[in-house]
Amino acid sequence: MTVATQALPQGRSQAQRRARAWIWLAALIVVINGLFPLLWMVLTSLKPEGELSRLPITYLPNHATLQNYATVLGFDATNPAPKPFWRWFTNSVIISLSSAFLSVLISSLVAYVVARLNIKGKGIIMGTVAAISMFPLITLIVPLFQTMRAAGLLNTYFALIIPYTVLSLPVCTLMMVGFFQQIPQDLENAAMVDGCTRFQALFKVVFPLAAPGVFTALILAFVNAWEEFLLALTLIQREDMRTLAVGITLYQGEFSFPWALISAALVLAMVPVAVVVVAFQERVVGGLTSGGVKG
Amino acid sequence: MTSAKPVRRELTEKQLAFWMLLPAALLLLAVVVYPVGRLIYTSFFDYSNGPLNPPYRGTGNYQQAIHDPDVWNALKVTLQYVLITVPGGMLLGLALALLANLPYRYKWPVRLSLLLPWSMSMAFAALIFAWFFNSDYGVVNDILRRLGMTAPNWLSSPQLALLATSWAIIWKTSSFVALILLAGLQTIPEEMYEAADVDGATPWTKFWQITLPLLKPAIIVALIFRTITAIQTFDVPYIMTSGGPGNVTTTIAMLIQQQTLQYGNFGYGAAIAMVLFLFSMIITGFYLRHIQGDS
Repeated sequence: MTVATQALPQGRSQAQRRARAWIWLAALIVVINGLFPLLWMVLTSLKPEGELSRLPITYLPNHATLQNYATVLGFDATNPAPKPFWRWFTNSVIISLSSAFLSVLISSLVAYVVARLNIKGKGIIMGTVAAISMFPLITLIVPLFQTMRAAGLLNTYFALIIPYTVLSLPVCTLMMVGFFQQIPQDLENAAMVDGCTRFQALFKVVFPLAAPGVFTALILAFVNAWEEFLLALTLIQREDMRTLAVGITLYQGEFSFPWALISAALVLAMVPVAVVVVAFQERVVGGLTSGGVKG
Repeated sequence: MTSAKPVRRELTEKQLAFWMLLPAALLLLAVVVYPVGRLIYTSFFDYSNGPLNPPYRGTGNYQQAIHDPDVWNALKVTLQYVLITVPGGMLLGLALALLANLPYRYKWPVRLSLLLPWSMSMAFAALIFAWFFNSDYGVVNDILRRLGMTAPNWLSSPQLALLATSWAIIWKTSSFVALILLAGLQTIPEEMYEAADVDGATPWTKFWQITLPLLKPAIIVALIFRTITAIQTFDVPYIMTSGGPGNVTTTIAMLIQQQTLQYGNFGYGAAIAMVLFLFSMIITGFYLRHIQGDS
């Protein structure tokens, strides 16, 4: 086909123009597929509730309003927030940040052993990491629920922070091994010659140099925790301790679906993660591919 | 002071490795090893009369599971989700990656279209698509009506509920697949395509002879992670259809959650979880064998 078009008189420019049209079309498909559902949520969130139950449906809001956002956030004095959005938001931030820090710290130590120390059994360590990354964590909701209940930890941050730390352990370890291997061994040796212990060398030389890697691992672990649904649904049952991922689904009643409010809450819940991911997109994409994360 | 440091530095590599691996080992012991043991133990007890002193039931829970039509139905539904959403997500993801890899002047809109869906929670995607497929006011039915077609009741139709929920899963997971494959595509040297051009290769042969073989490692990584998450499908049917209508979208994961959290039937839930565990072991074992056979 390309051969045929190139054989035409003025073939070059025509082929180029045609190629450009295809490229534009391709971009359009990718962008519409990826962003239309999100755009639709934003548009829905700007419509007054009444406009959503009218036929034919409107695409752009007839009377755009920020009322739904004010209601969700509790800024509307006449109309109290139907659900404790801020509380859920805080819960999610605390749980996601804590588990991300723990996960990166613990996996860095494992990664250091694999990347730097001269010991046997590294194959076993990496094999375990791979096995954990493929482990169907869902099968453990029964014993985790039993254990947390017996320990009196149901409905605490701890109940989610610990399993989420494990959830991100494999990807963080794989990433950190890669980053440690890029740091020259000589720098570390020099620090130890200057009187640092190995641990000090790790925290004063290796960690700071691996900072971009640590940061990427933190983002991925944070996103993992922010998104998790089943464990959050199972191990937390008190409404004020819920995380956002579960909380958002609680706006709907048995027969009522306040889609305008749900959309506004969704948009608000997505913004923080979206901003971080977009701001550090190069690193996130690089980190994702160093070990595969999850669907 | 100065004499203390050399002493501390005398930690051998082995000792250092031990201390650095200890936190991860303890964590895995608490969150994976112990719960697996407890899961197996629990599966032999009868919790139907409450959690206190449950009587030993031998293999009774397993026998009950084998004869339970709900378990077989859930296995069938889970398999349907695996067979629809894994190839669906892989193909859409591959298409998106190929389109996103074209030479754009402005790469950010395309990249954003992959990153934003990836960064959002599966639960959020489920809510968005529940609103998309709303029978009266959903945008899907509005488009169908404008095209003069009948607008079905997606989420309460036994035939369509599986398709609508699968669509949501495919949309959400294709972004992850696309990001992994896009990174793989960018490692393929341009010279290979140039050499193929000299030989007069068509785009079609270039795709089959160069792109696909070199993309294979990335495809396998994405495939494994997609399959593992598909076996655990929970969020989307739970939110969009609650497993209905009837039980046509009730997966194994939902059955486990139902038995344990709604009915308090821990023993039976644990036995079903063991079934899921075996199910996923068979599939990952199959993959790992295939990969080892290849390399």
